[in-house]
Amino acid sequence: MRFQGFHEMIAYYARVTPDAPALLRPGKEGPEALSYAGLDAALTRRAGELKALNKTCLAVFSDGSEECVLTVLAAPEAGLQTVMLDDSLPDETAAMLLRYTDADCIWSADGEREEELRPFLTGGVIDGAGKILFFTSGTTEQSKAVVLTESSLCSSAWNGGCMLPLAREDTLLCMLPLAHVFGFVCGLLWGLSCGAAVALGRGVRHYGDDCAYYRPTALSAVPLLLGFLVTRRLFNSELRLVLVGAGDCPAQLIQAAEAAGLRVSFGYGLTETSSGVAISTRGDHFAMEICPDDEITLAGDGEILVRAPTCMMQGYYKREADTLAVLRDGVLHTGDLGSFDEDGRLHITGRKKDMLVLPDGTKLFLPEYEAGLAAALGTGELAVFLDKGVPALLLRSESPDEAAVREKIRPLMDAQPRGRQIGHIYFTEKELPRTATGKLRRWEIEKMIKEKEQ
Amino acid sequence: MTREKILEKTKAVIYECVPELEGVEIDENSVVNTDMGMDSMNFILVICKLEALFDVKIPERQWNKLSTLGEVVDAFEKRLKKK
Repeated sequence: MRFQGFHEMIAYYARVTPDAPALLRPGKEGPEALSYAGLDAALTRRAGELKALNKTCLAVFSDGSEECVLTVLAAPEAGLQTVMLDDSLPDETAAMLLRYTDADCIWSADGEREEELRPFLTGGVIDGAGKILFFTSGTTEQSKAVVLTESSLCSSAWNGGCMLPLAREDTLLCMLPLAHVFGFVCGLLWGLSCGAAVALGRGVRHYGDDCAYYRPTALSAVPLLLGFLVTRRLFNSELRLVLVGAGDCPAQLIQAAEAAGLRVSFGYGLTETSSGVAISTRGDHFAMEICPDDEITLAGDGEILVRAPTCMMQGYYKREADTLAVLRDGVLHTGDLGSFDEDGRLHITGRKKDMLVLPDGTKLFLPEYEAGLAAALGTGELAVFLDKGVPALLLRSESPDEAAVREKIRPLMDAQPRGRQIGHIYFTEKELPRTATGKLRRWEIEKMIKEKEQ
Repeated sequence: MTREKILEKTKAVIYECVPELEGVEIDENSVVNTDMGMDSMNFILVICKLEALFDVKIPERQWNKLSTLGEVVDAFEKRLKKK
């Protein structure tokens, strides 16, 4: 079924299968179910409560709990603009993002935090009703909020359901952060749009035992999480399908998951397209079929161009120039490079932008990240690259002092989520390789590092 | 619990969760990142085991600020004192 809104989706299944479980959440003696009829009623109540606040823009510090899910699903009906923020964001970053997004009210499971951040609230917005803002990558100072809607997110979930249908008897385990569009669409909406049950993961502290607790049949994961589950054999016997997305995934990892009896599909998408636009459904995992609502072509240089009328973002929030730089005539210039095989399936071949995709699915925009490091270290003679899945720093210095470097970049690192912090630091006395216009020759830098390691 | 005891238990958990560190000496200044074989999932595992061991919780939004082994120990010492 194709839906335009969250509550419309839930109300449909509340009519068709009122007693079927919609959400599974932790209970006193194991998982407890909230039926579609129960969820429908709860959404009506929550929308009324939110409307009564008489506010315009709600920042949700998403912790994946039932209360959080109810709030996010009810907010558009209450006429609010919703801002999805990760609950683990440091306070200083959260405060800055509240101002940028014009939030005038907060939802957080942590009342103390809500109080602390209240001084950073603004006067709200005028035309935000129904907009849902997700941040690209890791919500750094330079991150952009992508304006999506319930309709674009529901369409994306419909796309996913067409490619990988779930049965009403299925249980989809939602382990990924809901503040990430892949987690929201493929961890939550995909299941609800198919009328399946969605088990609400209990957070990072339960990554190791959520599969055993909820006994899901389907799961969405980023490569890092898949690796964690595969290497420790944490899958339950009922699990049959894993959708992997939001980053490059080593083929060995997929093979290991398959050896454990799982069907693995790989998806490609962006926050700007409300999540996936192509998914592998058979054979080669990295050969992806285009989702029904989307159209993908390649530019002359191989850049992937996406037209997705039902799923496309409205733009970057208050960043018109940034929007125009990537979205022109309804076509998104992704910055990713790809090719088509003889069956018309899409293969991702690389990145056009100066960007790293980290194993947790977030993206690191190198020019901004490196500018921050350069300011902290007082030199621009540095480069950041991916080293065993983690950002590493190459710094030109004639007197290497790692401890001093770490101390200088520490404030910058403290403001970053863990996976985005600098791991290994390499030093070189040589000048860094650059083009005639001063841009770093990143492939040469990677070659330099490989030579250093040998 | 003394700081030395917390340090000792923390090191034991790290060695248990990151077997690659066997035979490698770590001290309070060791940076707990990929350099010592600890990716972000391993880090979560270590913190969760320590939380269970000491029966205290470190809020997730403070995790990013724990760079060295000494800082991990500081965080648990502070929480244990509040208990």
